[in-house]
Parts: sequence; structure tokens; C-alpha cells
Amino acid sequence: MTKNTPRELFEKGLIREDQFNKIDVIISGKVVSVFYELQALLYLGVLLFTTGVGILIYMNIGSLGHLISISALILLTIGCFYYAFKNGAAYSNDTVKPVTPYFDYVVLLGALVFVSVAGYLQFQFGILNENLELVTLITSVFFFYIAYRFDHLGVLSLAITALASFWSVSISPQKWYSGTFFETANLHIVAIIFGVLVATIALVLEMRRIKMHFTFTYLNFCSLLFFAGAITGLFIGAWWFVYLLLIYGGCVFAYLMAMKRKSFLFLLYAFICAYIGTTYLLEKTILRDAIEIWFLYSIFSCGGFIYFIIKFKNYFKQK
Amino acid sequence: MKHAYNEVNLHNLAVIKESKRWSSQGLIEEDQLKNIEQEYPCSFYHPNIIIRILLFIAALFALSGATGFFALLFGNSGEKVLPLACLIYGVISFALLDRILINQHRHYKSGVAECILYHACGFAIVGLSWMADFNTYVILITCLLVFSYAAFRYLDLLTTMAAIGSFAGLLFYTCYEAGGIFQQVIPFVFIVCFGSVYAITRKFKVRDHLQFWSLNMMIVETISLLLVYAAGNYLVVRELSINLMNLELVEGQDIPFAFLFYALTIIVPFALLYVGIKHKDVLALRVSLIAIAFTVFTFKYYYGFGHPEITLTVAGALLFGIALLLFNYLKTMRGGFTRENHLAEKWANLNLQAFVISQTLGGNQSQSNNQIETGGGGKFGGGGSTDSF
Repeated sequence: MTKNTPRELFEKGLIREDQFNKIDVIISGKVVSVFYELQALLYLGVLLFTTGVGILIYMNIGSLGHLISISALILLTIGCFYYAFKNGAAYSNDTVKPVTPYFDYVVLLGALVFVSVAGYLQFQFGILNENLELVTLITSVFFFYIAYRFDHLGVLSLAITALASFWSVSISPQKWYSGTFFETANLHIVAIIFGVLVATIALVLEMRRIKMHFTFTYLNFCSLLFFAGAITGLFIGAWWFVYLLLIYGGCVFAYLMAMKRKSFLFLLYAFICAYIGTTYLLEKTILRDAIEIWFLYSIFSCGGFIYFIIKFKNYFKQK
Repeated sequence: MKHAYNEVNLHNLAVIKESKRWSSQGLIEEDQLKNIEQEYPCSFYHPNIIIRILLFIAALFALSGATGFFALLFGNSGEKVLPLACLIYGVISFALLDRILINQHRHYKSGVAECILYHACGFAIVGLSWMADFNTYVILITCLLVFSYAAFRYLDLLTTMAAIGSFAGLLFYTCYEAGGIFQQVIPFVFIVCFGSVYAITRKFKVRDHLQFWSLNMMIVETISLLLVYAAGNYLVVRELSINLMNLELVEGQDIPFAFLFYALTIIVPFALLYVGIKHKDVLALRVSLIAIAFTVFTFKYYYGFGHPEITLTVAGALLFGIALLLFNYLKTMRGGFTRENHLAEKWANLNLQAFVISQTLGGNQSQSNNQIETGGGGKFGGGGSTDSF
């Protein structure tokens, strides 16, 4: 691949002249796209702004400046959604192309600021003091609405994490290594049930052809929750065999999903979880103490797996 | 010496990969992509990124099993034999990778290949350094040599980074050990050295016969630029002088040449920005953005982090505003810059972006819940996806 490749393809008649003209200016660097750089700026802007606002909103409560800033934030959300509703395309069950490159970030900003302001107002006036959990549920419902209305994958994933946190489970790798993933006992069961339920809903929605491109995000979060819950169950209880069966079931499901969608992330999950499960089973039953056997086990199990993937490489090709 | 792969295959693979990007962006049609794939056949085993990760993990387990076995066999053979055993093990791994995996089975960055490569590098380095009783010089030099070899021969990107890192380490250590005036001029040595590395790589990058290393050279360029900036950055110089060279500053005292480093901290990022815009150099542009952010951080670090929430809010609003303005400004192409997305970047996957958003932006509704928790009492585990933010 060099700067001459487009010309080479053109001369071989593999691409047409108009295509060559378009491609050549890009490859030769005559035209430079700063799309990703600007998107990164937008993302950082939203990140910093909402973090700052999240702190700012609870400071100097009651002072005049505080009231002004709250009003400014409310105006900002209204502005964002005014823009989104005015310029955005109508709702559709399919993918909707954003009208401008920054449309998605305006929606995201509006949604996040709205949630901050709403949370603050609830704190100040105590509308839901009796049912505090409802705040997260309402947040999640709001996010779901925005995600479907404006076809926004980012807000959808926020909605799923908010829904999970309504059930007190958190979907965040950062929590896994700090060891506070499941703070309360039996939360892993909630995680498993949540994972199965939401995945079922996602698949039903997909069968009805509603926002089919959302399914991956749903399934991804659900598998993470399901496997994390099942593996936790495997390690803590006397019921490990039940959890082992659950893990195997999940792996079969993930494997099928990976094959059907050609998205091999699920294959990765299935492999790692099945490996953990099987190793645990062997440790509990036949293989104990003999370190040489463990070395043999890892060589042959993983070697066999590699052989399998390479042997059937045509199965594992992306579309 | 050259790289380990078949050149025709390598070229064809690159053409196919690039055509796929064009096709996904609608620049060419599906049938044309099929024709190109037929015209440029490639017999490499080069699976997609997830399968690569999967194979890498599996190979890692398998190799640790194998290593464990050898450890059992040679474990008791003593200080004399072990370094040699490590080295031989590393060299054999290199040979297996080269002869069997790459030559016979045509693996190209398959996950397994990378795993064996890093494994081989690790053992070769440990073996060689052990023979010299882990002398720092020897460690750094072997790292540099082994990583450069791996980067050059297998076109590997991670070892390219490691090689540059060891070069920087060697440079730093040499000046540091020399002591006296040499310690003081470390920043300038770095600026001159990595400035030249950048200039030379830039020159070589356009040569056609070096095209296979284009990604490696891009990494070398990026890291060199970042190192040039870091070497002139006031915060880096000051903290390193205090921590490593036992510089003691009393109240009101500043590091030597402070004004120079202040100037460099400001000038370098904007010079890069200028170069990036002037020469339409995306790489310099990206590095300059990172550098500007770090420059702001440097000044905030010494002139007060008071009111972080205001800083964050204002910075966020500014960035968002600037990005919006630029997006609108570049609606029509200006000076060769456009806001349109011509070619999808590999890593810019929408699902990935969504995941990043959920992990980083989910925390801001937790604020309200935390507040309620302290007011209302009762255990409430929910609250955003992460309350660590």
C-alpha cells in the first residue's frame, strides 16, 4: 500500500475514474479530514462540562449566582433539545444518520445536563423522598426515550447502566478490580436474572425489527453482567455446580450469538468463561496438587483451542 | 536483513484492507471490492482483532504451561546454566516463530505470532541480562537491541514502542550516571536527539521501499514528538529534577533555566499546531492537542487548582464551543481540511464509543443520589453506573 496504489487500481480497471479522483486526494493527503479530532474535542467537552456541572450544582445553594447557574443549565437543556427536535430526523425503527457531525453530542449534552438538573431539583424540593430508587429508574426511562428517539447508542448504554443500577448492580469494569462489584450478598443472582431478562427483551425487539443495531449493545452488557454474576456464584457458594451449568448455558448462547452475528466479542467471553468454569470443575474433582498435570492441561486445552480456531478459520471470518 | 514476511502478500493485504475502508465509506462498490480481493490474493492467516485477542490469550496460557515444564526440568540446575537456558529458550522461540509459524503456516500478526514474539523477546532479554548480573546498562542495551530487532523484522508495533522507550531510558541513564553538568542538560539532549529521530523518520516515511514499516514509523514519530515536548515541559523537568536529582528548592527558588522551560511549555504545542495545519500533518495536529491539554494542566498545577468545578465547567464549555465552531467553519473545505469523515478509523467503532460513553459519563447523576444518601439515610446502592467519578 503506497500513495500510488489508487492509481494502480485505476489503471487495472478495478476502480472508476471518478472514484479514483475522490480516493487519490485523500490518500495523497491533499485533503485531510479532522472529523475524529473534532469529535474527540466534543467528547472531552461534554465530559469536562458535565463533571464540572455535577459538582457546581450542589455548591453555594441558595445564593443568587446559584439560581442563575441553575437557570442557565435549564436553558441549555432546552436549547439542546430544541435543536435536536427541530433539526433531527423523525423516529424510525432503522438506523438514522445524524444530520450534522455534532448532532449526537448535542443530544448527549442535553440528556446529561437534564439528568443533573432534574436530580438537583428533586434533591432541593424532595418530590420523591419516599422512593429514592425511583430517581434512577426515571433517569433510565428518560435515557431510553432519548436513545430510541434520536437513535443514540451512547445514551442507550447509559440507559442500560442506569437500569442496572436501579437493581443495585453496576456494569463497570472499574468496579471489578476494586472488588466492590457485588456489594451486597446475593446480588450476583440479581445480575444473572437481569442479564437474562434484558437479553430476552432485546432479542424480542430485534425480532420485531425495532432498532436492530441496538441489540449488540444490549447483549454486550447482559453477557458481562450474566457471566460476572455466574462466576461470582461459582466461587462463593455450595451451589457451584448450578452456576457451572449456568456458565456453560451462557457460553453456548454467546457462541451462537457470535456465529450468527459474526461478532466475535461474544466468542471471547464464551471462551474465557468456559475456561474458568472448566478449570474450576477440574480443580474441584480430579486434578489436585499435581503441578505437572496443570502445565499439561494448559498446554493441551489452549493449544487445542488455538488449533480449533485456525482449522476452522473460515467460520471465524467477519462479514 | 529485512522483514520476515512474503512481500507480495504483505502488499496485497494492505491493498485489501484499504479497499475495505473505502468500501465501508461508500467510496467504491461491493463488487469492486470483490474484484480487488480476487486481483490481490493474500494467503496470510490474519484474523480480525477479537480473534487475535482470543488467540493471544489462549497462546499465553499454553506458553505458560510450556514454560512451567521447562522450569521444572531446569529449575535446579543453578545460576550458571539458567541464564543460558533462558537465552536458548528465547532463541528457539524466535526460530519457531520465524520458520514454522510465519514461513510454513503464513501467520501474520495472528495473536499466536505476537504471543510467541513477546515471549521470545522476554526470555532473550532476561537470559542476556542475567549473564551480566542485571547490570542496568546491559539490560537497557539488550532491551533496545532485542525490541528493535522484533519491531523491524516482524513489523510489530508494541515492540516498536518498547524499543523507543528503551532508547529513551538508555539516553537518560547515560546522562544521569555521568553526573554534574550532564544531568542538567538532559532535557536539551532529549530535545535534540528525539527531534532528529523525528526529522529522520519523517524523511524516510515517504520512501516506497520502506512502506511496510509505515505504521512503525508513525509510532516512532508520535513518541518522538511527545518526548520532545515532555523534555521541555516545566512540570516534567521540575518534578524529575526534584525526585531523581535531589534538587532542593527553597521557597521562592526556581529550577535552573526556569524561564526557558516555561517558554518551551508554551511554544512547542503551538509550534506543532502550526506545523500540523500548515503541512496538513494529522499526526502533529493530534500530538499538539495532547500537548496543549498538558500545558494547561502544567500551569494549573502550579497556579492553583482552586475551584476545580469552575475550571472543569469552563474548559468543557470552551472545548465544546470550539469544536462546534470548527465543525461549522469546515462545512466547506478550507485549506484542504474538511469535517467530513472520509475513511473510518479502525478503532472508531460506534459500539466501542457507546461503551466508553457509558463508562465515563454515567457518573454524573450519581452526585444527586450521593447527596440524598447522606440526607435521607438508608443504604442505597444505586446511583449512576459508577460513583467513583
